[in-house]
Amino acid sequence: MWNDILEFFRGMGFMQMGADFLSGGWQQLAMLCISFFLLYLAIKKQYEPLLLLPIAFGMLLTNLPGANMFHQELWSAFLDPSSPAYHSYGAILKEGGLLDVLYIGVKAGVYPCLIFIGVGAMTDFGPLIANPKSLLLGAAAQIGIFITFLCANAMGFTEAEAGSIGIIGGADGPTSIFLTSKLAPHLLGPIAIAAYSYMALVPVIQPPIMRLLTTKEERAIKMKQLRAVSKTEKIIFPIMVTTIVALILPDAAPLIGCLMLGNLMKECGVVDRLSKTAQNELMNIVVIFLGLSVGATATGASFLNWQTLMILAMGIIAFGLGSGGGVLLAKLMNLFSKEKINPLIGSAGVSAVPMAARVSQQVGQEENPGNFLLMHAMGPNVAGVIGSAVAAGILLTMLG
Amino acid sequence: MTLLATNWPHVWFVTLLGFALVLVLLVVLIYVLKLFGRIMQPRVKTEKPQEVHASVGAPRKETDEHITLTGQATAAIAMALHLYYNGVHDEEPTHITIKKIERKYSPWNAKIMGMNNLHRN
Repeated sequence: MWNDILEFFRGMGFMQMGADFLSGGWQQLAMLCISFFLLYLAIKKQYEPLLLLPIAFGMLLTNLPGANMFHQELWSAFLDPSSPAYHSYGAILKEGGLLDVLYIGVKAGVYPCLIFIGVGAMTDFGPLIANPKSLLLGAAAQIGIFITFLCANAMGFTEAEAGSIGIIGGADGPTSIFLTSKLAPHLLGPIAIAAYSYMALVPVIQPPIMRLLTTKEERAIKMKQLRAVSKTEKIIFPIMVTTIVALILPDAAPLIGCLMLGNLMKECGVVDRLSKTAQNELMNIVVIFLGLSVGATATGASFLNWQTLMILAMGIIAFGLGSGGGVLLAKLMNLFSKEKINPLIGSAGVSAVPMAARVSQQVGQEENPGNFLLMHAMGPNVAGVIGSAVAAGILLTMLG
Repeated sequence: MTLLATNWPHVWFVTLLGFALVLVLLVVLIYVLKLFGRIMQPRVKTEKPQEVHASVGAPRKETDEHITLTGQATAAIAMALHLYYNGVHDEEPTHITIKKIERKYSPWNAKIMGMNNLHRN
């Protein structure tokens, strides 16, 4: 009986953490503290709580000693060509824990695409159709991705890792996860956390950059009201974009295709039930699975290293460059076009829908309370979603 | 050391070509959307105002013209249509109708079964 009691005590997480404290237990303890901090940010500060909360809780679960919910070694074997478990989902199902099973959806690139169906079903592409020039601002904001790719290479990351770090500049969580799971799955935890943290910090990061790059007069520019967009245009748009983008860049087809499928379901008006499901139930279920499984990859060994700090630092550079790129291109466009564009809408070219557009509206109203930039900013904002998905497809084609 | 190991020509190639491709693809979309918008823009048949020197009996020509409405004009038309179709007008009906409410008999609403049914002598 004493042996059983002794075994019980030995099996306790506290005992395991204490026994291996120097060889890795301290990392687990540190990760638990980080997960508590992220939970605090999600609940108290409400920083992207819908995603940060499941991510932080996944991080908590994966770092509990003895819980065996996520096995990093199984996934290392999954990627090792010399291992018998190479690319074997069977081995994962047989030996894995709950979070391993949920992680299959990330690994197979299913969750980001399902989330994109929901995003598409919630997005109105009307402002973009009414003002197609917005696409240029969405493209310019992707410059952060490519400059950061260059910087990450200079800092010693491999090209595949650098591409995954650069995509943080797209400010698009599902796209970042999709690309990282394909190019550098070992960096998934830090990259997902960086991407979502910076998306939550859009109202803090962007306004200083916007004010720095624009004059008071530019910020006060009033834009002409957008033309009305017919229902037929809204229905044809997703079909047309999917066809064109997928024919030019087949690797971008999963993300763009799912985004546009969701949008078509919303706009066609004949499948309201499917549209509502994509916007609510499907989206919410996948967010829980995605958040938990991404958080699970943030184990002590993979998260607490210099790489994570560098990823966080480069992520913010990528984000800042993307925001600045959009603003600067809008200023450049003003030099050549008759109808002036308020450069503040350029920063919305990084995705982060609709937060980035709201920031453009707020900063614009500080200068001119009668100025309503929200709908104008939604154009570059949704263009940014298309742009970052295209950039991800290009990086996947070139580096995958 | 890793810096030296980096294949810089390829990195520059990916950076420049990658960004150029994003730009090109989205510019292609801009032109497609513009063309699309031009085709889909609502066409309204309007009559051209008669010119002063036109002869009185000359037949009037019907022409296709693009009409671009401002936001304020659209809002005003929408409000007018709303008022017209929903019968929201200033003339109020002059009689009051009290709707007769009929309830089917049910023991649940029967007065005779009421708890505070007073005895009448």
